[in-house]
Amino acid sequence: MAFIKKKANKNESYYMASQWTLMGRKLKKHKLAKLSLLILGILYLGVIFSGFIAPYGLEDYDKLYQNTAPTKIRFYHEGEFIGPFVYSLEKYNNPETFRVEITEDTSEYYKLKFFTKGVKYKILGLFESDIHLFGTDVGSNGSTSGKVMLFGSDQLGRDIFSRILYGSQISLTIPFASAAISFVLGITIGSISGYFGGVIDNIIQRIIEVLGSIPSIPLWMAMSAAIPAGLSTVKMYLLITIILSLINWCGIARVVRGKFMSLKNEDYVMAARIAGVNDAVIILRHLVPGFLSYLIVSITLSIPSSIIGETSMSFLGLGIRSPATSWGVLLDETKNIANFSQYPWKMIPLFFVILAVLAFNFLGDGLRDAADPYK
Amino acid sequence: MAEDYILKVENLHKTFTSKKISVRAVTDVSFNIKKGETIGIVGESGCGKTTLGRCIVRGIEATEGKVIYKSLHGKEYDFLNIDKKTMKNIRKEIQMIFQDPYSSLNPRMTVLDIIKEPLRANFPKMSKNEMEERVKDIAAKVGLNTSYLMRYPHAFSGGQRQRVGIARALVLKPQIIVCDEAVSALDVSIQAQVINLLRDLQKEMQLTYIFISHDLSVVEHISDKVGVMYLGKMVEFANTEEMFKRPMHPYTEALLSAVPVADPSIKIERIALDGEIPNPANPPSGCYFHERCRYCISKCRTDVPEQEEISPGRFVACHRAKELDLRGFEYEE
Amino acid sequence: MESVTAINKKEHILEVKDFKVNIRTDEGIITAVRGIDFNIKKGETLGLVGESGCGKSLTSKAILGINEKICESLGNIFFDSNDYGLIDLVSLNPKGKDIRNIRGKEISMIFQEPMVSFSPMYTIGNQINECTRLHITKDKAKSKEISLEMMRKVGIANVEKRYNQYPHEFSGGMLQRALIAMALVCRPKLLLADEPTTALDVTIQAQILELMKELQRELGMSILFITHDLGTVAGMCDRVAVMYLGKIVEIAPVEEIYQNPKHPYTKGLIGSVHKIGNKKEERLFSIEGTVPLAMNLPPGCGFYERCEDRIEGLCNRAEVDLVSIGNEHEVSCFACDHEACKAFRAKVEAELDGNIGGN
Repeated sequence: MAFIKKKANKNESYYMASQWTLMGRKLKKHKLAKLSLLILGILYLGVIFSGFIAPYGLEDYDKLYQNTAPTKIRFYHEGEFIGPFVYSLEKYNNPETFRVEITEDTSEYYKLKFFTKGVKYKILGLFESDIHLFGTDVGSNGSTSGKVMLFGSDQLGRDIFSRILYGSQISLTIPFASAAISFVLGITIGSISGYFGGVIDNIIQRIIEVLGSIPSIPLWMAMSAAIPAGLSTVKMYLLITIILSLINWCGIARVVRGKFMSLKNEDYVMAARIAGVNDAVIILRHLVPGFLSYLIVSITLSIPSSIIGETSMSFLGLGIRSPATSWGVLLDETKNIANFSQYPWKMIPLFFVILAVLAFNFLGDGLRDAADPYK
Repeated sequence: MAEDYILKVENLHKTFTSKKISVRAVTDVSFNIKKGETIGIVGESGCGKTTLGRCIVRGIEATEGKVIYKSLHGKEYDFLNIDKKTMKNIRKEIQMIFQDPYSSLNPRMTVLDIIKEPLRANFPKMSKNEMEERVKDIAAKVGLNTSYLMRYPHAFSGGQRQRVGIARALVLKPQIIVCDEAVSALDVSIQAQVINLLRDLQKEMQLTYIFISHDLSVVEHISDKVGVMYLGKMVEFANTEEMFKRPMHPYTEALLSAVPVADPSIKIERIALDGEIPNPANPPSGCYFHERCRYCISKCRTDVPEQEEISPGRFVACHRAKELDLRGFEYEE
Repeated sequence: MESVTAINKKEHILEVKDFKVNIRTDEGIITAVRGIDFNIKKGETLGLVGESGCGKSLTSKAILGINEKICESLGNIFFDSNDYGLIDLVSLNPKGKDIRNIRGKEISMIFQEPMVSFSPMYTIGNQINECTRLHITKDKAKSKEISLEMMRKVGIANVEKRYNQYPHEFSGGMLQRALIAMALVCRPKLLLADEPTTALDVTIQAQILELMKELQRELGMSILFITHDLGTVAGMCDRVAVMYLGKIVEIAPVEEIYQNPKHPYTKGLIGSVHKIGNKKEERLFSIEGTVPLAMNLPPGCGFYERCEDRIEGLCNRAEVDLVSIGNEHEVSCFACDHEACKAFRAKVEAELDGNIGGN
């Protein structure tokens, strides 16, 4: 009997499940979306704790480590197991070629350690600390020249791994900020367009069409040319966000308008009107919840294009500029074909761009499948 | 006798206008309904019956005409043309039940909220408990299990959803209910349940129905009077039995002959109508039906027939109504 | 092997044997068709009647192998094919060449919604022709001639002009005629008509039914007529099978079904349709309750919960089967008062008692 009762309760919870609960349940069944959610979770943890996870600071560089390949992590020093460690590098004049070559200095080892002390950083701008997740220990002779650079280093000898993390702070948040702005703009303008219709609708639609017909890269170029040089990173960040969202809201406004128009003719909206419910309540209770889920989907799907937008702007030197960094800035170096072929590890930031874009796309897909409460 | 009505529809017109064309969906429809009666409105798709229903409840605005509602105190209001304040009081007297039990309930609200919404809109001062009491009363009346009220519509079958729609219409204690194809989307056995429910409720709450349907046997069963619509016009209006026994408009005759009868022993000679229903944006001259009518004479092609009261309460719009002897159904004695 | 020999090739065109459809869903497997047997004679119209969800459409689609992937067909559907001889349609690969040769040519289907059955991108003629070119002749002029002839036959006026028009230029009734022309252009032996007139107005509906009967006489085909509307069944079919919850509960010639229904569900269905001209009965006869979900069904008769004649301890414990009560009439009900049913009931009761005794 207990079993039957349990079964009944399970059914009852299904019957009493709101649209959001059902959506959550369906999303749980979408494997790719779940995986994407996990990946995005990890990436955003990286955004929050970038200072802690990155072994080096944003502006740290080391002349010795220019353009070095990812550091090899070793376990045996002179045939003896001593746990994970790295060797430092040394310059070496090759007598035959007369070229300066960089080789591993195997005389001294630097053990890898968790929770090492390093540059100071702040988490979320609140908690200051100088403890890093991992780093190299001081060598036995007291030297600190051993460095661990998981993804290698760039031209100036900066750790690419750390810079990817710092870059994600911009590359993964600008899309959110700009999505939020376009969300507000899109809903407001789209609702006005859909609810009033007629002339207002016509004007708004034409504006959207004009905005949509401007090719985005020249538009960005024009807009960022208008950004005065020498702005602080924060201001630059805000301006780029606004530039990106000015283009994005058009799509959302269209979705909102279309949904408004189709939902306006649903029988349940007419039923409410016949029952004497006033317009504001109809909009809030019947229309907006009707397209909110679709909106979330379309916003999720619009984030990847923002990520790519920011990356391409920075890549073209129009967005964030050094010393601040974003994924686009990191990829800037790969513009040079020699860099590209000699130092392939400089392409690693690209992998993160692709990962984030794919994850958002799959999540959006999953949300879209889950959003239909009737299926 | 003429004053004995609860709702009087007078010369109702509805024209849909888009940029280039205007379509007359409802043309000059007039009829009276007495309290407690059921009026059936039948016709084929595109004949304007749904538009007519929606104009009466002001789901859409009529272009022209009057819908006069006589309240219980004998006061008359033109429902289509009253000030906002009176409208607020009167609106709840005329409610509607929709065809599609799926699209007429908001999938994002619980059944309790759906039935409660009209109360919240019309009685803002009513306490929450009182509202829920009323919802429970009405839900029990329409045969919904009150323990299911917290469920969302997706948990209900078509028939149960239609009961929710009926409860929503009844919770304001209206006088008149427009049922727009209220049972058409339901399975046969469920249809019978809902029709029986509607009749029981009518008796209990002295409701007046305007029952819009394309299903003639359902209409014959439930209605006291029937109006037949063709291309936006009401071509015939009469007592149900009179009309089904002896239709007076050729279109009614053809419509009746086409009704499938659930009895293989009865063989009906069907009257085949030539052609299709004309485009309402470009209706024929004269009588709208003349191109398909087998009794058509030259007058029909040029003159528009007026609605005529052939016998008390029986209206026909046909030039030859008096001379024709048309065939209907045989009734058991 | 018994089943293969059982198909009477002279009389029957289709025999369905112990046919089941399982649907895989997120919540588990639903057996939507739970073992049905019926046959269609040459030249006859068999009505398959039931309410939504009873499995009637699944059955018809399974004959052509066009159910969705999540549906699994079990059992046998024997078809007497011109090209293949006796063939079991269930065993064919739904994407294979064989079934595609049969589809449209020997068995074809018309659907409820003519509007969505045509592609809006091609002319009507083009789409009717597609079938001719696929199955009859590759010759363009010849195939057009065949298509035009069929269009004339279904009562489309002005065919030369109509041939080059697009679906949106047709009215609903005309489009249904065109759909019938497309289905019949290869002169199939069996036509599956899935609610062909439900979406149409009554006057058009009457025309289409007349047309189908006429064409049937002319082409000598068999029709499986699927509907929920008992009115059209009465005028259209020779025999009727009533389905409820994935099972056939009663099957009989049409007059027999209407005059002498045996199963409580059939009685209920017929009773709940109002007949015009009957003295005003105050209430319609109605079957209480709703169709249960086809998942986790309790043992016994699927109609048990809603049945007025149910026998507690029997109907909800033992599976009931179709029993022939003569005159081609079969019914599956323990409460039926016919001798054959009583005998069946006694047998089942004895088995049940035996089980109890054994325990």
